[in-house]
Formats: sequence, structure tokens, C-alpha cells
Amino acid sequence: MDQADPREIQTLQMYLNEYGQQIELMTQQLSMIEQQRLEGTAAIETLRALQENADGAVLLPIGGGAYLRVKVLDAGHVLVNIGADVSVERATADAVGYLEDRITELEALAKKVAGSVEQLQGQATEISRRLEAAYRGARQAQAGQGGSS
Amino acid sequence: MENIPPKVQNQLAMLQQMQQQLQTVVSQKGQYELTIREARRAVEDLADVPEDAAVFMNVGSVMMQKSKEQVLASLNERIETLELRVKSLEKQEKALQGRFEQLSSQIRGALEGKQQPPGPA
Repeated sequence: MDQADPREIQTLQMYLNEYGQQIELMTQQLSMIEQQRLEGTAAIETLRALQENADGAVLLPIGGGAYLRVKVLDAGHVLVNIGADVSVERATADAVGYLEDRITELEALAKKVAGSVEQLQGQATEISRRLEAAYRGARQAQAGQGGSS
Repeated sequence: MENIPPKVQNQLAMLQQMQQQLQTVVSQKGQYELTIREARRAVEDLADVPEDAAVFMNVGSVMMQKSKEQVLASLNERIETLELRVKSLEKQEKALQGRFEQLSSQIRGALEGKQQPPGPA
């Protein structure tokens, strides 16, 4: 590269910023998916524990580290949110199955998003390399001009 | 960088404004499509639910029990409404995209020193 085109440097920098933003966005999506997965797993554990010990007292967190001792009226049925502001009453076993399916979907989605992030990071690395080379070329050209004058 | 003629500067400002409008339209369309997908998914899930099952809908900050039939009707209506909005936004997007490309080529032509005949008003 004899002389670095400032426009090329500008374009590469723009692409790098764009990729950075996309990576950040997808990383946020990944953490949201992971949070939903953990919530689903926690719900399944709770439902299983309730089925095993339906008559036991349960501590209900009301915030500020305070809990109420409560009794579950019907451990055999659960209201499950199916999206779009709709919830359906299901038998606990069915609800567990539904939540497990949802977790499987979330895991597949997380895998897909992680793959996209990896791909973007690879492209961003390549652009960084090209940008570095362009900067080097610009510096060399500047040094050459300085030496000749 | 040579001085950009005021006319081209004006066109560049318009182009930037158009780009923002386009981004707004696209993101709004994306949100509606996401809501449609969620509602469709709920309709699919309701298909497996018995007719007499307890179904609840969020109304503000409370949940109200409704019949499966009522909920399905409400969801389908929501899907229909949102699909109309998406279609309208798609038209808007297409029109903006066309104007954006036209203006871009005009600016490119002006900056490259080509004289472009003015488009139809």
C-alpha cells in the first residue's frame, strides 16, 4: 500500500463502529435470553418442589428482605403466560412440559445468536487488521513526505 | 475537501432527515412484526387448550378471566389490525427508499461534477 486513502480509513472506521454496535446489541440479546432461561428453570424447580411438598408452608417474598408464610391453595394447577397478554391454566405437569419446551427453544436461539456474534467478531477483527494496515501506510507516507521536504 | 455548494448541502441535510425517517419506519415495522409473531404464537398455543379451560387476559394491571373463544377473537383482531399497520409502513418504507435513492444519485452526480436533469416535481 503506497499511500493510504483517507476515505478508505474513514469507511473502515465506520464499518468497525457499525459492527461494534451490532455485537453489543446481540450480546444484550444473549443476556436477555439467558435470563429468561434461568427464570424458566427456577419456575420448573419451584413447581416440582411444590408437587413433592404440597401441604408445606411457603415463604412469599414481599420485598425488602421480608417474607410472608403462605399456603398454596392449588399446587396441581398453574397459570402460564403464553405471550400476547394471555395466560392459561394448566395442570402442573403440563406446565412443566411447556416450560421445558420453551427453555429448549431459548437454548437453540442462544446458540444461533452466539454464532452470529462470533461471525461479526471475526469480521470486526479483519476490519481492524485492515484499518491498522491503512494507518501504517498513512504514517509511512507522511514520514516519506517529511523526509523528502 | 472543496466547498460543497449550498444546494448540495441542503440536499445532504434532506438525505440525513430521510435516513432517520426510514430508520424510524423500519424499527416501528419490526416492533409490529414481533407483536404479530407473539400473538400468532399465543393463538397456536391456545389450540391445544380445552374449550372450558381457564384463560386470562391482562387488562391494565389486572388479569381477567375470559372464554377461550373471546381470547382467540381478541388475538385475531389484534393480528389483523397490526398487519394493516405493517402494510401501511411497508408502503411508506418503499416510498422513502425510492426518494432516498433518487436524492443520493442526485447528490453523487452533483459532487462528481455531472449535471443531472431535475426530476419531476
